[in-house]
Amino acid sequence: MALTGRAALVAALGSLPVGILGPSWAGMLAVNVPLALAILGDYALAAPVRTLQFTRSGDTSVRLGDTAAVQLTVTNPSRRRLRAQLRDAWPPSSWCSEAEQASSRHEFAVPGGERRRLTTILRPARRGDRVADRVTVRSLGPLGLAARQGYHRVPWTVRVLPPFTSRKHLPSRLARLRELDGRTSVLTRGEGTEFDSLRAYVPGDDTRSIDWRATARQSTVAVRTWRPERDRHILVVLDTGRTSAGRVGDVPRLDAAMDATLLLAALATRAGDRVNLIAYDRRVRAQVQCRTAGGNVLPALVSSLATLEPALVETDARGLSTTALASAPHRSLIVLLTSLDAAPVEEGLLPTLPQLTRRHTVLVAAVADPHIEAMAGSRGTVDAVYEAAAGAQAQAQRRRTADQLRHHGVTVVDAAPNDLAPALADAYLTLKASGRL
Amino acid sequence: MTTAAAAPTTSESRTPRQIWHRVRGMLLAVLILVVAGVALAAARSGGQHGRLDPRSPDPYGSRAVAELLRDRGVSVDVATTLAEAAAATGPDTTLLVARPNMLTAHQQQRLRAATADSAGRTVLIAADGPSVSRLAPGVRPESHRPVAARTPRCELPAARTAGTTDMGGVHYTAAGGETTACYPDDDGIAPLLVLRGHGAGDTVLLGSPDILHNARLDQQGNASLGLQLLGSRPHLVWYLPSLDDPSTAQGGSGDQDDSGDDGTEGANGFLGLIPSGWLWGTLQLALAAVLAAIWRGRRFGPLVTERLPVVIRASESTEGRARLYRKADARDRAADTLRSATRIRISPLLGVSPRDADSPAVLLPAVAARLSTPSGDLGALLFGPAPADDAALVLLTDQLDALEREVRTS
Repeated sequence: MALTGRAALVAALGSLPVGILGPSWAGMLAVNVPLALAILGDYALAAPVRTLQFTRSGDTSVRLGDTAAVQLTVTNPSRRRLRAQLRDAWPPSSWCSEAEQASSRHEFAVPGGERRRLTTILRPARRGDRVADRVTVRSLGPLGLAARQGYHRVPWTVRVLPPFTSRKHLPSRLARLRELDGRTSVLTRGEGTEFDSLRAYVPGDDTRSIDWRATARQSTVAVRTWRPERDRHILVVLDTGRTSAGRVGDVPRLDAAMDATLLLAALATRAGDRVNLIAYDRRVRAQVQCRTAGGNVLPALVSSLATLEPALVETDARGLSTTALASAPHRSLIVLLTSLDAAPVEEGLLPTLPQLTRRHTVLVAAVADPHIEAMAGSRGTVDAVYEAAAGAQAQAQRRRTADQLRHHGVTVVDAAPNDLAPALADAYLTLKASGRL
Repeated sequence: MTTAAAAPTTSESRTPRQIWHRVRGMLLAVLILVVAGVALAAARSGGQHGRLDPRSPDPYGSRAVAELLRDRGVSVDVATTLAEAAAATGPDTTLLVARPNMLTAHQQQRLRAATADSAGRTVLIAADGPSVSRLAPGVRPESHRPVAARTPRCELPAARTAGTTDMGGVHYTAAGGETTACYPDDDGIAPLLVLRGHGAGDTVLLGSPDILHNARLDQQGNASLGLQLLGSRPHLVWYLPSLDDPSTAQGGSGDQDDSGDDGTEGANGFLGLIPSGWLWGTLQLALAAVLAAIWRGRRFGPLVTERLPVVIRASESTEGRARLYRKADARDRAADTLRSATRIRISPLLGVSPRDADSPAVLLPAVAARLSTPSGDLGALLFGPAPADDAALVLLTDQLDALEREVRTS
């Protein structure tokens, strides 16, 4: 049962007849007994809430920053007309602002035996799954004095996917990939190390690529073309430990790493490589296996990354390299997205690195903090100079750590969040071009 | 989602049956509590009910003595308010105050004022504490003693006639004035004290009410003493103080003087001046306010909770280190770090490998060769001692920047 503002208003207006006509208990009763009866009658005549039937339909996934529409169909099986207010409750992060939350409230009427469809617009503020909470219905009586209130549980989940903002870099990297592939008509010796085909010599071709045996067999001069290797294995290892929770700008490091992962995966899939993924801190948080070469792994990747959250624990580096080795049976490019903080790398990663580099090519990518760069450049006051010293110290430490990793034969990519994805893609293309995959 | 999944069972609100199942335990507990309370109250109220009431036939009532007095031609009237009791005082009246301790200080003062000059008799039953000094000035209450049969040992005719009676309770001593103490203990304090006032009036302090109880009236000389104490005047006013006496509310804590009364009467008068229509209208508005509170208080579904992500800035530890440097005045560490950073930055510009950036023998000649007009002491700038104060540190930073700019542009 719920009262409306109208009931309170009628009671307030009742003070006029009580005060003017009957200032006594009798006057009070004369006003309030009919009001109470009207409220009770209104409550009794309101359409029942418990028997309402609900179904949902609409979007099940949305990219972060876009809007999702979820429909809720209300069926009124009773013979009474349903005049109701409805709140379709979702977690607060399903909207970016308070004002947008108003779209979860609906006011509508359904005649007996009919149905209506209501649409709730979500614009989630964070990655992850949004699970619908209860649907609260307030069914008003014919006079609008009282209402029946009840709840319904109508499950629905909207998965909010990572935004993949770095996909704007994809066309330029694909163009570079095509250059590598020899598909464009460049007269330089085709990059790559895998033999592709023989073709007739064209003036301007690199004379080193002339295949003399083939030329001897036929009347024209033949040159070999080369293409980059295909069907290589790439294993992306996301470190979801405590260092990935640190925010650079307003975004956790993990999100920047995910963005880079998605660009790399999109590029590698086009290049015909197989991309696998592990997210690990002290146990495997997510794992995606690509079954076929060139198969589109991106949807599976995006979906499993959507619900990944940083865990506030120290990453188990030994377990991480063991898991990586176990899930990379073939020679692979292992892309380790972690941090370049001195302690975790020196104590955790460095001792286990030889196991990885023995069979695999290892690339470590880390998110640098532009704020530390700004700190290192601050000047003028004493505080600013001390900040600069601390910033420079942090940068030197980072550089030292990166040097240590390079010493082990690891390729290191260290870039600010916005530049990490293109930098990682470039590093991948460079490795591919030099045939190190 | 299929329609099959959308069964009518999506409702989460409780059915009337579920509500009944939930609240019936509570209702049962409340019922047991009420029944037990009523039963206990009924069982325990027996002896105490109508204590010292001249209309009560209970063991602790006093109907027997009142009836005996009536038989002897004394009129017995019950007063429950101070106004009645005060109005009834007079030279031919005995005023019995059954529970003087229950009266507020203000009431006691009014009672004293009414009885002091009335030339009647006032009997105070078991007066104790500060009420004694207000109702019978000059008398002091002493310790409590158990009720027992005692001999009078005094000159009061009534006591002498009655002989041994059940006496006890509060004992009194008189500081002065014309008093008679009866049934005294060995240390001189007595449970029955007669204090003569002005004229023919007197005040009788009785330490315990036992001689007037129905249960004990026929024992010892209780009846005799009671009849003589209460029957000395043709009228007896039996004052039973009650809480619904309007005079209890007056005077506040009792230490105020009469001006407080005027204030309350003034407020009554002000309320009395408001037309009743306004009062009733306001009452109706209050009812409307309650309805509005119910309207606004009903939530439209519960709050939805969710797990929030942690918010840690990645640069937090570096900022902390900067503040730590500042607090410790670590100019040496700061200068070392800044010099080293500059050396690392300029070494590739000079064709010096980063490994040699920290050796003065390699770096300094390279810098000197690069700059056409070397400004100042390069060795002191790039490898010198820690600055002496904060100003020197800021200056050093500026000089390092200037050097780096110079190397870049040369």
